[in-house]
Amino acid sequence: MKCTEKWLKEYVAVEFGPDEIAARLTMLGLEVDAVEPLYPGLDGVCVGRVLSVTRHPNADRLSLCEVDDGGERARRVVCGAPNVRPGMFTPLALPGAVLPGNFKIKVSKIRGERSEGMLCADRELGLAEGQADSGGIMDLDPGEFSGLVPGAPLAEVLGLRDTMIEVDLTPNRPDCAGVIGLARELAGSAGLPLGRPEISPPELAGSEPPFAVQVEAPDCLRYCARLIRGVKIAPSPWWLRRRLLAVGLRPINNVVDITNYVMMEYGQPMHAFDFDRLAGGRIRVRRAKAGEKITTLDGVERQLTPEMLLIADAAQAVAVAGIMGGSESEVGPETVNILLESACFEAKSVRATAAALKLATDSSYRFERGVDPQAAPQALERAVKLILDLAGGEVAPGGVDYREGVVDPPLLTLRLGRVNDLLGTDLDLDTVAGHLAGIEIHGERLDDQALRIRPPSFRVDLEREVDLIEEVARLIGYDRIPTSMPLVAMEMPAKADNDQRHRIKTIMVALGCHEAVNYSFVNPAHGDWLGLAAADPRRSMLPLLNPLSEEQGVMRTTLLPGLLENARHNINHQCPDLRLFELGKVFFAEPGSGLPREEERLAAVFGGRRHPGSPLLWEGEAAVDLYDLKGLLEELLRGLRRSGVMLVPAKESSPYALPGSCFDLRHEGEKLGEWGKIHPRVLKAFGIKQELLYLDLSTSRLLALPAVRPTFTPLPRFPAVKRDLALLVPEEVAAGEMLAAIREVGGKLLEHAEIFDVYRGKNIEPGRKSVAFAIHYRDAERTLNEETVAVVHQLIIDQLVTRFHGQLREA
Amino acid sequence: MEEELQSLRAEAEAALAAVTGPADLEGFRVEYLGRKGRFSGLMRLLGQASAEERPRLGKLANEVKAVVEGLFNARKEELEDALPAASPVGDLTLPGRRCPAGGLHPVTQVMEEVCSIFVGLGFAVAEGPDVETDFYNFEALNIPPHHPARAMHDTFYVDEGRLLRTHTSPMQIRAMEQASPPLRMIAPGKVYRCDSDITHTPMFHQVEGFMVDRKVSFADLKGVLSLFITRMFDAKTPIRFRPSFFPFTEPSAEVDIGCVICGGKGCRVCKQTGWLEILGAGMIDPAVFAKVGYDSEQYSGFAFGLGIERIAMLRYGISDIRLFYENDLRFLAQF
Repeated sequence: MKCTEKWLKEYVAVEFGPDEIAARLTMLGLEVDAVEPLYPGLDGVCVGRVLSVTRHPNADRLSLCEVDDGGERARRVVCGAPNVRPGMFTPLALPGAVLPGNFKIKVSKIRGERSEGMLCADRELGLAEGQADSGGIMDLDPGEFSGLVPGAPLAEVLGLRDTMIEVDLTPNRPDCAGVIGLARELAGSAGLPLGRPEISPPELAGSEPPFAVQVEAPDCLRYCARLIRGVKIAPSPWWLRRRLLAVGLRPINNVVDITNYVMMEYGQPMHAFDFDRLAGGRIRVRRAKAGEKITTLDGVERQLTPEMLLIADAAQAVAVAGIMGGSESEVGPETVNILLESACFEAKSVRATAAALKLATDSSYRFERGVDPQAAPQALERAVKLILDLAGGEVAPGGVDYREGVVDPPLLTLRLGRVNDLLGTDLDLDTVAGHLAGIEIHGERLDDQALRIRPPSFRVDLEREVDLIEEVARLIGYDRIPTSMPLVAMEMPAKADNDQRHRIKTIMVALGCHEAVNYSFVNPAHGDWLGLAAADPRRSMLPLLNPLSEEQGVMRTTLLPGLLENARHNINHQCPDLRLFELGKVFFAEPGSGLPREEERLAAVFGGRRHPGSPLLWEGEAAVDLYDLKGLLEELLRGLRRSGVMLVPAKESSPYALPGSCFDLRHEGEKLGEWGKIHPRVLKAFGIKQELLYLDLSTSRLLALPAVRPTFTPLPRFPAVKRDLALLVPEEVAAGEMLAAIREVGGKLLEHAEIFDVYRGKNIEPGRKSVAFAIHYRDAERTLNEETVAVVHQLIIDQLVTRFHGQLREA
Repeated sequence: MEEELQSLRAEAEAALAAVTGPADLEGFRVEYLGRKGRFSGLMRLLGQASAEERPRLGKLANEVKAVVEGLFNARKEELEDALPAASPVGDLTLPGRRCPAGGLHPVTQVMEEVCSIFVGLGFAVAEGPDVETDFYNFEALNIPPHHPARAMHDTFYVDEGRLLRTHTSPMQIRAMEQASPPLRMIAPGKVYRCDSDITHTPMFHQVEGFMVDRKVSFADLKGVLSLFITRMFDAKTPIRFRPSFFPFTEPSAEVDIGCVICGGKGCRVCKQTGWLEILGAGMIDPAVFAKVGYDSEQYSGFAFGLGIERIAMLRYGISDIRLFYENDLRFLAQF
């Protein structure tokens, strides 16, 4: 909603300027979005009086003018306008002025003649919007403008000094969709009376009008109309055009401009019909018929449906009620007789129709939010008066006022105790009543604890006691409501899932990974890019009805594609060393109309150097490999205290994994997730030119496993004995199985065993490898002696040799 | 003998002063204090002294030896303490052996900080589905179909009855359906609106919070949110509550803070107002209580919602919201 400072001040005599107006409105909940001085380009433009005009010696179409700018000496100005003549008052842009379009005025030479300014057309000053080219410089009429003296600032003379104020209206305040409504709020805030245009609503029902109105639908709450004969359609006067332009409306002709002007003033949308084009001289307010059509004022033919409310004549639709008129009965240059409509339609009905037609207008904007049903006759009369003044004509006696749909606002009780409880204030009833009365909400005292209030009709949003309490809060000012801390019983809420999530994330971060967050909607082509089988559940992606783009068309069923896209982005930006993870939801469409199943997963991609960001000097260019990933997973499981999770070759390779490099995380046969190398075909599909590793697991399944609670083991009191052991074994023997055998045979005395070397090559026959172990023995009860260790150690050697066809390597 | 003792003492003192390292020190000990050292030699001569002289000279010899031993021990400690300073340093300009940690996404960092403030005030944390029903996202929050307030939410629809939640407020309803007052809860999560430009992404993060009890007032709302802001920003941050409209709260408020970019003087970020909108809040509307069967004569409550990206952008000076979702490591590594 736009208005101007001067317009507001016609109704409320506040002394302060636009910035204070904006500040007050904002703090009243009418947030001001913009405060813009109008016609800023007019600084440096004054009234000039042309003293003489002579032909330019070097150009046929140019004149040399002597112009009086109020100074001692006349200015020499070169002018190209055909209408320049001695004695004429016209705008003179002085050197230094900056006209709209950043056009800077300077002293210059034009075809050899000095020019000390510019005589201006309205177009050049930004004053011609919405009107035809006048074909020359502005010819200011001393009869129209008082104070037309050379040198006077043009903006002053034309009454253009004004500021546009734009309010971002919340949907609950249709009363402020008119300048009077905004002025009322300001008046309340400043403690000043609210002025109004002086009009007395006529006795519309007094005499029989020369037209008929028939309302056939209950969502037309009120319908007022009058007939004006013999109007002369013409452009509106300058002041009216200027007002409309200032609030963003395009001037059309005097009658249409007046309906718009009154709408901006009262918040009451109005419509003027060309009466001679209304078949049968009658109006029917009715529902559309099946298949009915109308061509609206914007020239679009619209298909109507039977829920829509129409204004029709005896033959056809002439307007979509409360939204837009039809072009058939449009007021144009030939119009002589007009029927003026000021009506009120039910908000819900207009909303539904506007949504169905996808047509939002200044009128529907107001009706959708709720127009004051009592404003219709005043607004009608205001418009009639203006039309008679500006377009002439004669108003037919009487008119129509259908008002069967008007209901009185509800009678509300406002309890002081309730006000103070809800706001945390300590107000008395007089203060409350006083503030409300400031914006014309009048109450009757029930006792010293309550008011009985029937809200004014323009406040359609006040339906309940709490709505009035909000008014009180707003009017006293939120900044004057105290600030307190609630007194509540102490309580310790249970820990939530996000503690566990935080744990996972911090472990991943400690392990060198950066967290990524991707959109939940992805490209439906990802399923193909990953090579998912037709029956893969990750193929059943939930589509959006109205995605922003096809690439964001479906809800993700896996986190991998998002991370692969991130990998490509980073590699393409010369960051090939990646450790990226994401913890987030995936979505699976479930049969039926219930909500989809949402599952939380952890996924990560790895590529490039083993430790991104670590010094090359120490770590070199070594690339990340599957053992890095395995270690990371082991560390993650340890950090989460989940035991019994096996990292084993996948039973079946995932389609996006390199065959043979795909592994599962399993717990007692249940698959929790997987990890491995991305298949080159998938890398290609995602446009990635680098090897990548991945992991993808279900955190909900992982976290469902019981966490192992740490239990204390006493620290050893006796020393350990350390022995190394190296064996040559066939290549196919798994070192991990040897380690398991060592632990099994070592029994209680074996404290720790680990592999410290796997060696192939020089001095080792082909097909065999050397595996070396470090073993710690310890007895919790006594110092171990050499003999005891030797027995166990030999037992281990014997077992390894037998089980794995091994051969002991002598140290 | 007496003279010899005195000169031995003087010699020992001089020799000790000349000692500079552990090897010298050991040499001194052997020469003077060892079993075959010079004191032992003198003591052996004691037997040649007369019987009446012997006790006096013995006592004197022991005294002198004790003094030299004392000096020796003092010198020894001195040298031990001084040792490390002499160890050579390598080229300290070479890099340390780092194994760098990664980092949490800035949205996560801000989200966790916001949540921790409210958890400290005893708010429980709850989460709900991203794909919601029209009922929880709109109807139950007092936003009927075609209500103009729906225009404030550019909604992604899955079908007629299901959508991507446009705010975290549905958790108010889900939580109140499941429990009776008193309630204090926050609900962090992803929300979705079909909008994309330099200040909007189609997905972003919100934290919803609410509190319901007997006699919770607007003053309490101001108190809790002011405390939050002073913790999230700093104690001197100007705070402004101004009236606004949300269908599910009444009275409703927008909460502004003094612009952290220009300090309130007016700049592009605050659109020359000196203020930045930081969260929306209000007293829970009785119509919402009615939907979950709470008696609004008995209970009142406040609710608020804030956008995480906005706070992160202000805090870190990020100018384009879309950077959050490119996951560019050069961006992520900055936080």
